[in-house]
Amino acid sequence: MQVYSIPNSIKKDSKFTFCKGCDHGVAIKIIAEIIDELNLRENTVAISSSGCSVLLYDFLDIDCLEAPHGRACAVATGVKRAHRAKGEEKFVFTYQGDGDFASIGLGESMHSALRGENITAICINNTNYGMTGGQMGPTSIMGQLTTTSPLGRNKEYHGFPIKTAEQIALCEGTKFSARVALYDVKNILKAKKTIKKAFECQLKNKGFSFVEILSSCPTNWKLSAQDSHKKIAEELTKIYPLDIFKDTIDD
Amino acid sequence: MSYIKIDQNKCKSCYLCIDACPYKLIKKSNNTGTTGELTVEFSDTENKCIGCAQCAIVCPDIAIVEVNRE
Repeated sequence: MQVYSIPNSIKKDSKFTFCKGCDHGVAIKIIAEIIDELNLRENTVAISSSGCSVLLYDFLDIDCLEAPHGRACAVATGVKRAHRAKGEEKFVFTYQGDGDFASIGLGESMHSALRGENITAICINNTNYGMTGGQMGPTSIMGQLTTTSPLGRNKEYHGFPIKTAEQIALCEGTKFSARVALYDVKNILKAKKTIKKAFECQLKNKGFSFVEILSSCPTNWKLSAQDSHKKIAEELTKIYPLDIFKDTIDD
Repeated sequence: MSYIKIDQNKCKSCYLCIDACPYKLIKKSNNTGTTGELTVEFSDTENKCIGCAQCAIVCPDIAIVEVNRE
């Protein structure tokens, strides 16, 4: 009996082009599995952003649209509303990095949450700008060495990191906000369950749902895949606690 | 007999599956993969594999393409 195979929503013969050990692959895989389970493949529009997360449309066999840097939530709003005006209900989700969601596109993201747009946003938090070479991002932790903070992030010069899931949970339009990680099997399964819940929030027409995924960036952290996961488990989860910060889907 | 199938062309040698396997049935192979490092192979001479699919769940490169459970 076959208990596992590559999800149908992943393009046949596709090969992930991420760096070795990068959690983007796991994130895309579980999203594909959820799309299969909820049978959403023919009715989904995914909005990808700029950064490593843009590669989503290379691997997923669904309709995808690329948004300008940071504007994924704004484009998703347009796609959702335009289809609704035509009488069609599309399932729309965005797949963004932390720099895209919480820095360059903070306005778009925050106001989508405040408006309570019926879309789902997924933010991959790897604490730097991965694709461009590991510059300091809005979520870089205090003391983190990056190419643009060679002496470490400090509060006098750079300020404090943003805790996206908590901030989005404060918005009244948000119905679901959570943070998950992908460093071991238990957490991957938990992440899948949480993302599924966020997708169901949209399917029930409730409002904005958001999931932040703590992800590794072995290349820019200059660590092995194993050590990156260890860093997430021991260091990052203390600063970015894994929790569901808001769940008012059933209210 | 439970078994898994590994696609050697997709493996990027991160070795996360080696740590994930509860019975340590996945080892480094003699093949050089796309990253220039040794890929992994599955060897189960004593039929220990239980088909838990933990290796496939942690694989970030969908290199473990199939898990079959008895």
